[in-house]
Amino acid sequence: MGTLVVENVVAGYGSGPNILKGLSLTVESGKAYCIIGPNGAGKSTLIKVIAGLLKPREGKIFFKGEDITPLRADQVLQRGLCYVPSDRSLFPDMTVKENLRMGGFVMRDTRKVDERIDELFAQFPILKEKSSQMAKTLSGGQQQLAAIARAMVLKPEMIMLDEPSLGLSPKVVQQIFGTITTLRDQGLTILLVEQNARKGLQIADMGVVLDLGTNSFEAPACDVLNDPRIQELYLGKRHQAVAAEECK
Amino acid sequence: MIQVIQILILGIALGGVYALMSSGMTLIFGVMRIVNLAHSAFIVLAAYLAFFVFKTFNIDPIVSMAFTMPVMFLVGVIYYRLLFASRADNPRFADITVLVTFATALVIEGILAFIFTGIYRSTTPTYAKTSINFGPFFIPQSQLYALIISIVLIVGLWMFMRYTRIGNAIRATMQNRNAAQVVGVNVTWISTLSFGIGLAMAGAAGSLLSFVFTFYPAKHIAWIGMIMCLVVLGGMGSLVGALVSSFLLATAAAYVNFYFGAAWSPITFYLSLFLILLFRPQGLFGKKVEG
Ligand SMILES: Nc1ncnc2c1ncn2[C@@H]1O[C@H](COP(=O)(O)OP(=O)(O)O)[C@@H](O)[C@H]1O
Ligand SMILES: [Mg+2]
Repeated sequence: MGTLVVENVVAGYGSGPNILKGLSLTVESGKAYCIIGPNGAGKSTLIKVIAGLLKPREGKIFFKGEDITPLRADQVLQRGLCYVPSDRSLFPDMTVKENLRMGGFVMRDTRKVDERIDELFAQFPILKEKSSQMAKTLSGGQQQLAAIARAMVLKPEMIMLDEPSLGLSPKVVQQIFGTITTLRDQGLTILLVEQNARKGLQIADMGVVLDLGTNSFEAPACDVLNDPRIQELYLGKRHQAVAAEECK
Repeated sequence: MIQVIQILILGIALGGVYALMSSGMTLIFGVMRIVNLAHSAFIVLAAYLAFFVFKTFNIDPIVSMAFTMPVMFLVGVIYYRLLFASRADNPRFADITVLVTFATALVIEGILAFIFTGIYRSTTPTYAKTSINFGPFFIPQSQLYALIISIVLIVGLWMFMRYTRIGNAIRATMQNRNAAQVVGVNVTWISTLSFGIGLAMAGAAGSLLSFVFTFYPAKHIAWIGMIMCLVVLGGMGSLVGALVSSFLLATAAAYVNFYFGAAWSPITFYLSLFLILLFRPQGLFGKKVEG
């Protein structure tokens, strides 16, 4: 049994149509999963449902064996499941440090939060350097890093990242993916949504294709990279064998 | 010269109350994007509360703030829960709030007119009639008290927003509602609380106004225009902005009043609104709003 189990989830917004139409997914502990799929497929919706920000209409979600479907977002965070939204979503007029402090909002022990922030500053020296700057003055890559660090304040067991490469230059994307790889190597369970399917799959153990509100394809990331249909649809090229070193 | 300074003193004295009047409105806008057109009506309602308590039990309007502020806080919580909480995700939320709050203002005005009639009222504690002299200058005692209490309340609110866990959650919600949810802030709860705090500030303003100005049920119409000007000039959602613009405009209006006549002083507010919208639409301390 996986660390995160999504069971037949049906979800949508307000009185609108079902966006997720009976989706199931099992995430094994300590592995990195990359979800790809066309725009509007419901990738962000799935992450919001798991994070407790959107209640599913049907289905259940289990984390470490516990049914977290009825939990509020803050309770899901406290269970060790964190989320980095796609627009980076920092607090623009708070300093980097204040942003990280907000990351520890659900932890009442502020001393512990500050200790944790110091650890993160050691891991990400650039954030320490910018700690008293307003978040809005950071570059895109630094903002993404700050958003990841903010989610890491709670020392989660699993982190969900929604399109972390969005709007970043190739060089910066490389750095962000380097950071995600480091987190993976530290044993964190990772659920990554990526438009940049090739890059995402390269650092993942498993690839999941989400289309029309269901999980239409799930396989080891390397196989997904090599699948001719996937290559045509999502990797933007005709079928060709992927060199072994491209796979994790 | 003495006259120039004297006018400055009177302007600053009024600025404090204006700042208190606009602080709640800017908070409510900042957190919930609600343009609360009923804000001044709630202030007038609180002034009548203070008036009622003063007339009936002879309780000083400053003392009765211990009553009007919590009552208005509760009114805010219930009002937000009933009318806005379930609609916060509606894409037409902003349009809805303008209509609902405008209707609310008219309902409050109607109820007050029914209970208290349209007669001009004010509370008359002993300090309402005296002035404090220092050298060639004077300041009405009532305005001095109102100024001091207003500043204490606004600084208190500012410190609460800056240094407490809940205050930080309110600021976070103002700056990025989505991100606040992501880090585990219950934004519905924060919105309800903020609406309550906003109306508690309106309650305080109403109590102080009750002995600084005269009021009648329809008075809110004149005040909402002025408050809107102050809030927009300061930058919608900015507490510091509301404070600075209140002192600036209250002083400017005092000079206009003295040199051109009382009829012209409201023009000061609207003219500055024009100018700011022309040259710095986000206001003095405002953030550019995306989207
Ligand atoms: N807040 C929302 N309210 C209503 N519909 C939404 C909302 N967010 C997303 N949708 C709709 O849900 C569908 C899936 O969106 P999303 O999950 O963001 O897709 P993806 O992340 O895969 O691009 C889209 O059709 C989108 O229009
Ligand atoms: Mg998305």
